[in-house]
Amino acid sequence: MEFNKNVLYMNSENEVERIIGFIRNNVVERKKEGLVIGLSGGIDSALVSALCVRALGKEKVFGLVLPEKESNPVSRDYAEIHAKALGIRYEVNEITRELEAFGAYEKRDSIIMDLYPEYLPDKHRIKITLPGNILEKDGLNFFSLTIDDGKKVLFFERLKKHQINGIFAATDLKQRTRMMHLYYNAERMNRLVCGTTNRPETLQGYFVKCGDGGVDMEPIAHLYKTQVYQLSRHLGIPPEIIDRQPSPDTFNSQVGDEEFFFRMPYDKVDMFLYAWEHGIDMEEICNVMDLSKSQVERVLRDLTSKFRSTKHLRELPPSLLACR
Amino acid sequence: MSNNGNDIKGKMREFVKNNFLYSSEIEDISDIDSFIDRGIIDSTGVLELIDFIEETFGISIENDEVVPENLDSFQNIERFVRSKL
Repeated sequence: MEFNKNVLYMNSENEVERIIGFIRNNVVERKKEGLVIGLSGGIDSALVSALCVRALGKEKVFGLVLPEKESNPVSRDYAEIHAKALGIRYEVNEITRELEAFGAYEKRDSIIMDLYPEYLPDKHRIKITLPGNILEKDGLNFFSLTIDDGKKVLFFERLKKHQINGIFAATDLKQRTRMMHLYYNAERMNRLVCGTTNRPETLQGYFVKCGDGGVDMEPIAHLYKTQVYQLSRHLGIPPEIIDRQPSPDTFNSQVGDEEFFFRMPYDKVDMFLYAWEHGIDMEEICNVMDLSKSQVERVLRDLTSKFRSTKHLRELPPSLLACR
Repeated sequence: MSNNGNDIKGKMREFVKNNFLYSSEIEDISDIDSFIDRGIIDSTGVLELIDFIEETFGISIENDEVVPENLDSFQNIERFVRSKL
């Protein structure tokens, strides 16, 4: 199996046609009248919405922009700019009140206040991060909480299991609330919900079950992030969206996907994922990526561990039902 | 707390068996087997392991000590805990 720095490059128009066919077939086979898609202002949803319009026409694609009080304001701006450029109908629905009603912010903040009693939710910003770049330094995965006041870091501590589970359970409500909106609209319009998860996210479990993972189809789950960028440039996605740092946009202190989950830049994630999936020889990985054996070993260990521990997210719920 | 090496490994084996394994597979895991490579522990499992070691042996594990050479096998944990006692 060939492995080189250009191994992820595709024929853009051929790939666009393939994905368009996939989208059309799914809508037609399921006898639906179109698609509903969540627009985050990021590159993945921008690419998917552009592909959906190419596949079905703008009248059959409905966009939902679903910000909450801690979302980066730029997310909403970019989502609206892109929706207008595509000519699709869209709505902006703030989901803050629903999250407040469920107690999402309160549940998360009570955990944080136990750690740092001086925490002021309206004045301070928080983010969760993994240890730094795994290529620079080995280390097992653990999450740390950072609290800042916009000028300086006030608190930084490694989280215990019950703390990180509690925080994630509360913050995952954001994605799950968005899923409710998407399905409400899809059902009333007799449409499908279109997902925007890419390949590294899918294979590493970087999505929320029944949140952004709760969709009817995933047209870019086979694409490496590098390929998402390639197709986005090909389809003329606005440069400000392409150049934007990929982020979960879940915390009010900005954190990128690298800091929060992957522990290295996407171009490296993609190459390692490709090598891992295709059983590329260790020596070849080291040569092509100009890395040491220990660096490659620790990344492959991390990839395998994340894939294995998130397997349940990619499967249907187990049952004793025997299918025909 | 005890300085006895057998105690450290014994306590760790019991902890891993009760929290990460659902059968009597603990005997299949050697002192040098990697927990991560064997698929026994994932990222939140590491946090549980850290909490247990800190509470049971009364030591504090710094962030830069959360590395496989300290925590990813019974042998590594025993060596690491002994160095901190």
